[in-house]
Amino acid sequence: MTAPPKMRDLAHRLLAYEAGAGKTSEPAESATLRVYEKLRQSLGEFVGVAGFQSLASRALTLARPEAPGLSAARVTEDGYLQGLGEIENQFDTDKDRAGEGGIILIARLLGLLRIFLGEALTLSLLRNAWPGEAFDDRNSAHGRKA
Amino acid sequence: MSTQDKVKINKLPTGVPGLDEIVGGGLPEFSFNIIAGAPGSGKTTLAHQFVFANATPERPALYFTVLGESAIKMLRYQQQYTFFDPAKLPGAIRFINLSQVVLEKDLGAVLEQITKEVEKANPAVVVVDSFRTMVRKPQSDMDLQSFIQRLALFLASWQATTFLIGEYAEDELRDNPIFTVADGLFWLRQTAERNSIVRKLQIVKLRGQDSVPGLHTFRITDAGVQAFSRTFGLTGHAKNPPSHRRLSFGIAELDKMLGGGVREGDSVLVAGSSGTGKSVLATQFIAEGIRHGEPGIVAVFEERPQAYAERATSLGLDLETPQKDGKLTILYLRPLDLSVDETMHSILDAVQKIGAKRLVIDSLAGFEMALSPGFRADFRESLYRMIFALTGIGVTILSTVEVDESFTEFPFSTYSISFLTDDIIRLRYVSIDGQLRKIMVVIKMRGGNHAKDIREYEITDKGVVILGKRLTNYQALISGIPVYSERSDLTEKPSLDAGIEHKT
Repeated sequence: MTAPPKMRDLAHRLLAYEAGAGKTSEPAESATLRVYEKLRQSLGEFVGVAGFQSLASRALTLARPEAPGLSAARVTEDGYLQGLGEIENQFDTDKDRAGEGGIILIARLLGLLRIFLGEALTLSLLRNAWPGEAFDDRNSAHGRKA
Repeated sequence: MSTQDKVKINKLPTGVPGLDEIVGGGLPEFSFNIIAGAPGSGKTTLAHQFVFANATPERPALYFTVLGESAIKMLRYQQQYTFFDPAKLPGAIRFINLSQVVLEKDLGAVLEQITKEVEKANPAVVVVDSFRTMVRKPQSDMDLQSFIQRLALFLASWQATTFLIGEYAEDELRDNPIFTVADGLFWLRQTAERNSIVRKLQIVKLRGQDSVPGLHTFRITDAGVQAFSRTFGLTGHAKNPPSHRRLSFGIAELDKMLGGGVREGDSVLVAGSSGTGKSVLATQFIAEGIRHGEPGIVAVFEERPQAYAERATSLGLDLETPQKDGKLTILYLRPLDLSVDETMHSILDAVQKIGAKRLVIDSLAGFEMALSPGFRADFRESLYRMIFALTGIGVTILSTVEVDESFTEFPFSTYSISFLTDDIIRLRYVSIDGQLRKIMVVIKMRGGNHAKDIREYEITDKGVVILGKRLTNYQALISGIPVYSERSDLTEKPSLDAGIEHKT
């Protein structure tokens, strides 16, 4: 079973947003890691380090069959994501594949949140982490404004 | 110090239907409260209702979770309640997990973390859930007491209203420094009674508030916790002065027996065995009230409203039209797991909604059977509270009760509730001339004279019809087996008991 399209779309948008932001501020860090870090900080506040670590590990496990390149990635005990940089470097020559593993991982993480908390609450949490981004349905993949 | 100089304590809505009345109008602002109880008693839900009712983006709520239920699961379940508004998260309500600090550090570090978050967010409400898990770690009493006092002092100084949630057993209530420091202590209990669960809430203490003492029933539904005050929410209502108005049954002869009718605001008990016409009499009473522009409520337990209205139609009484016009409500209360207070709240709500002046409870036996077994023990006490509350605001109550016929006794009711009633009308069968006929007598009318006559009556297509004059040629009528007497001098003497034992 693959990540739901809606969650993939949402993950894609977050990565695109961070990729844009990263060009000027922190170019060395991948967009996936930036999204992941924001989620870790935002979710970690209310689920705790252990709570986030559990969710992220589950998301990674679910993402691996879709993105075998994630096999080297791991979630540390304190919830950080390791081994993603090397994977993304492998795809560097192919722009379409670049970040695909990251999108799947983030989509799986968002999917878990949606399963546990529901869409409304998940989007509320994302709005808090990305105050400048709109997350309503009109901006989804099937009806995006721009 | 004049009243003007005294500090005014703002009262915050609890967000729990019925609880504001119990706590004396709302929760004192800046108070430091504990919600205690066993797991599953509704502590977290109650706290969430308070948080959702009071948190704003300007003055948010900080909800610290510790080692109990994980925040994700808590939110997953709590958002099933109708009060849960996802839009309030995380702007107006922020969940902060303290488990790591608790596990790895000491209470000082916990206090430091809470202090940091509070200073940053300037919250109006702070909840620590579960506080108990935080203080279970081995530490000296002094550490704990010092921590509690510093936490309470800090949160009050920062103008936050606080709830600490903890799993406590009843025997921990004494000599606990936490309870000493708290301004408010809410104790939630749930006990199994036969096959039913009975939930009760007690405000053990609440500084500065005139809370309603005692145990209050509460229920957890998809709307969250709903509390039912022992005083039925009528605490603040002014009692009506005693009325001298008489209410008619629509049966002229019965009104005469009652000295002109039932006194407004009385509680009337109509007692008799099956088939004696108790419900018919009750229906005539309510219909006559509607005819005089007095809205009415009929609480039925033994038949459905439609059947009740149809039976009234067969007596020539129209109960359909007043129902459509909002002048009559027929309540059917038959779920077998109700708390007595909950049932009475349904009746009170209906009374207040249409401004009812007359209430029929048909019957008390059905009412009792509709209750959860655990509440049946409280039935008489709760009935007393409801009758007192309703008659106090001028509602006239007629209750029917079935009594077993006996030929050696003349019981007024099987409930020993005659002391709750102002007036008692007793119906019974009597064997006369080879027929099972019916007699009626007014046993008691508090605050008024009534006829001593024993009258024969029939139930016709016009309802209860009282026949002729009192039965003067029989002795021992109330025994059910009267003795015929042709002595003319007996006609002027009341033929009461003849050695029969009275039971109330």
